[in-house]
Amino acid sequence: MTDFDALLKRSFAEAHEPADDGFVVNVTQAVAHREESMKVRSYVQYGAMMIGLAAVSWGVYSMVGAFGPISQEIMASLGLEVARAHAAVSTAPDVGASAQNFIQSMGVGLTLVLMFAAALAGGAVAIRASRD
Amino acid sequence: MASRGFTKLAEATEAALIIAAQAKDQAAFGELVKRRQGWARALLRRMCQSHAEADDLAQEAFIKAWDRLRDLETPAAFPGWFRRIAVTTFLMAKRRQKAVFEEITDASPLASEDSTPEAAAGAKLDLEKALARLSDAERLCVTLNHGEGLSHSEIVEITGLPLGTVKSHVLRGTDKLRRLLDPDS
Repeated sequence: MTDFDALLKRSFAEAHEPADDGFVVNVTQAVAHREESMKVRSYVQYGAMMIGLAAVSWGVYSMVGAFGPISQEIMASLGLEVARAHAAVSTAPDVGASAQNFIQSMGVGLTLVLMFAAALAGGAVAIRASRD
Repeated sequence: MASRGFTKLAEATEAALIIAAQAKDQAAFGELVKRRQGWARALLRRMCQSHAEADDLAQEAFIKAWDRLRDLETPAAFPGWFRRIAVTTFLMAKRRQKAVFEEITDASPLASEDSTPEAAAGAKLDLEKALARLSDAERLCVTLNHGEGLSHSEIVEITGLPLGTVKSHVLRGTDKLRRLLDPDS
């Protein structure tokens, strides 16, 4: 290290530091403001999430209501479809007819399942969008 | 705002203040800012060309520190940790201003490295004015090297500049300062 380098280091060390001319107040106020904003933001997010959940619940409830009489059948039919499919495959006297029956019956069940899944996915997207 | 666990914040150790601030105690953080603002602002004033810009960046750095304080593993590491935040804040501001931190591969100084003790003893340093004559990158590297005592590799780690570039900036910056502050050397 040269003498100039040493002198430079000493000059840096001895250089005066600015006095607090309201800087601390500015920072603490900014921090307090930030914390308040974060609190409000978290409340808004929580509210949006609740609204999203309510929307999903309402959607599911409406769907079940709309399919009122058949909603109970849906659950039964889902089990029945599996049994039918199994029977169709295992007995299979006429492969073509069985396959046709199988596809038709699965089609009805699948439509309902897909509608239900779409409602859930829509609700999830709404929640995610509200959080962003 | 009353601080939890402290009767007198002014008497608390820095480590205690940091731990309290990590638990989101704003008063403890305020005391920490009070103790460190001189150092932080002086550091940024040496890097920036205007005091107002430096103070704005210092405020931004303290707010970032507040947000990330939980990431700090030990209170003893606070100075180095905060210095990194301050330098990153400065670099981001310069990027926003489209400042160019050019890469230099030639590490040779601009002039002779010779310096006599007489010349050094007679030097009248108006450091701040001389620093203002350096480029942003030179000022940053010289400040971190001579002012903060960081090695070249530590500066590389903080700034992300290549080692050769850092060495060049330190050498050229120091040489410029020598010529500005001690024209007889």
